[in-house]
Amino acid sequence: MSRTTPTLAIPPTPPHVRRNRVLSIGVAVLSVALLVLVLATMNLPTWQRVRTGLERTLPPLWRGFTNPDWELFPLAFNAMLETFYMAVLGTLLGGVLAFLLSFLAARNLLGGTAKAAPGKALLVAIRTFPEILLAIIFVAAAGPGPTAGIMAMGIHSIGFLGKIFSDVIEGIDPGPMEAIRAAGGNGVHVFLYSVVPQVLPEFASNLLYRFEINLRAATILGLVGAGGIGGPLIQRLSFRRWDEISMILIVIVGFIVVVDAISSTIRRRLV
Amino acid sequence: MAADGPGVAAIPRPPLASRLRGMLSLAIVAAVVVVAYRQTDFDLEALFTGAVDFWRFFGRLVPPLSEMGSNWGTYLPRLVAPLVETLQIAYVGTFFGTLLALPLIFLASANTAVDPISMWVARVLLTVLRSIPDLLWAAILVPILVVGPLPGAVALTLFSVGILAKLGSETVEAIDPGPLEALRAAGAGRVATIVYAVVPQIAATMVSYVLYVFEINVRASVIIGLVGAGGIGFTLQQRLNFFDYTGVGLIILVIFVVVLAIDALSVWARSRLI
Repeated sequence: MSRTTPTLAIPPTPPHVRRNRVLSIGVAVLSVALLVLVLATMNLPTWQRVRTGLERTLPPLWRGFTNPDWELFPLAFNAMLETFYMAVLGTLLGGVLAFLLSFLAARNLLGGTAKAAPGKALLVAIRTFPEILLAIIFVAAAGPGPTAGIMAMGIHSIGFLGKIFSDVIEGIDPGPMEAIRAAGGNGVHVFLYSVVPQVLPEFASNLLYRFEINLRAATILGLVGAGGIGGPLIQRLSFRRWDEISMILIVIVGFIVVVDAISSTIRRRLV
Repeated sequence: MAADGPGVAAIPRPPLASRLRGMLSLAIVAAVVVVAYRQTDFDLEALFTGAVDFWRFFGRLVPPLSEMGSNWGTYLPRLVAPLVETLQIAYVGTFFGTLLALPLIFLASANTAVDPISMWVARVLLTVLRSIPDLLWAAILVPILVVGPLPGAVALTLFSVGILAKLGSETVEAIDPGPLEALRAAGAGRVATIVYAVVPQIAATMVSYVLYVFEINVRASVIIGLVGAGGIGFTLQQRLNFFDYTGVGLIILVIFVVVLAIDALSVWARSRLI
């Protein structure tokens, strides 16, 4: 009976914790039940079909991924460079447009929540619209190539950047604004010497962050003909040239990891 | 001289070093932009001259008002099944992504890792998973698995693992170390320490992240069909191939509404959590 003594030292579970426990078990059971329902109604292929498919594709896939075709490296690297340039211009375009729009969605500059509401709603709508659909529209309207991809990225980035920019503007310290006004500065002075210095580091940091996202997005825009490395990749995927596919993937992952590391170092120093 | 005026003298200039640094970074950015502009043949002019075509194209996405009722009326019911499949893919991807992310979260966090080697292996794996966008995962998996929702669900699972485990391990590394030390000092094993010291601290945040990843997965699942991975994107691809622009326009509209609705739902649920 000596073993019961230490358990006495642990207080009973408080009721709110027990209630939460029941709730979380309930949610877990429900989500598993939903999963069973979804899997049962989903149009999944039979295991037999999947297995024959795997038996056919996996050996060449393994051979290709263990022997990347280094002859493709220059082509892949140049395509990735184009992707990088697309991301630069897309981010810049999005940044400029978002900068203009963000003032129309900032409560403190417009003087009221209601006045900023249309701007904020517009930003949500832009953010929700999938980038690849924009790319399809631009490719269909303006022809294939990087310009369509840049436009798609630029427009889509407005949603994210505009929201962040307007949040930053709403969060600035009114002190310096008042100080400059009290010292006799006009609107332009207030903007240049109190708004801009306060928002610039945050803007630059978020622009870089968006650039990291756009670089990833730009690698897939080529799948619909909007320029970048996705184009050469999708061709090789349809022919299952795994040695070339693995080379392209190595270039994509390597490039993104390096750019991410550089960009996050700069961002840490900015803010 | 103007420099003697009280107004000018009163504003001190920033030190030379920081001004130089600012100018240098601006010059680098400007150089990259100029090179990018040249290399991509970005054509601002074509955008303005092509603007007429662009708006005409938008016009073709919408059927004429007189036919809109009958056109959309016959189309919409046909979009229900692909739409349901889209949400199924997103759900399955989120479910298995969460399941697989759980062990990786603790393996990849410095304060709960088993040993440095497995921690770095887990981190590298997560970085690779995240560097490849979801649509690309789908494009790679379609030739391997059978065309349809299966490669889509697997693609979203892999990508979800990457994001969720990254967000999760950041949360785990930020927890209060007190309970962790207390349980370790009391002689608790690894699993008991995680269950009683870590999980209660991260549970609410993690549920919110899972909802966030579901949101991302819905957004992804509507488009992965473009590469043959099932869902409404597959229907979109077919309409595009047939140059059926009113169909394309309606699908784009439906996708937009669904994503907006799921986003709103998820934002509401997350605001209730924290």
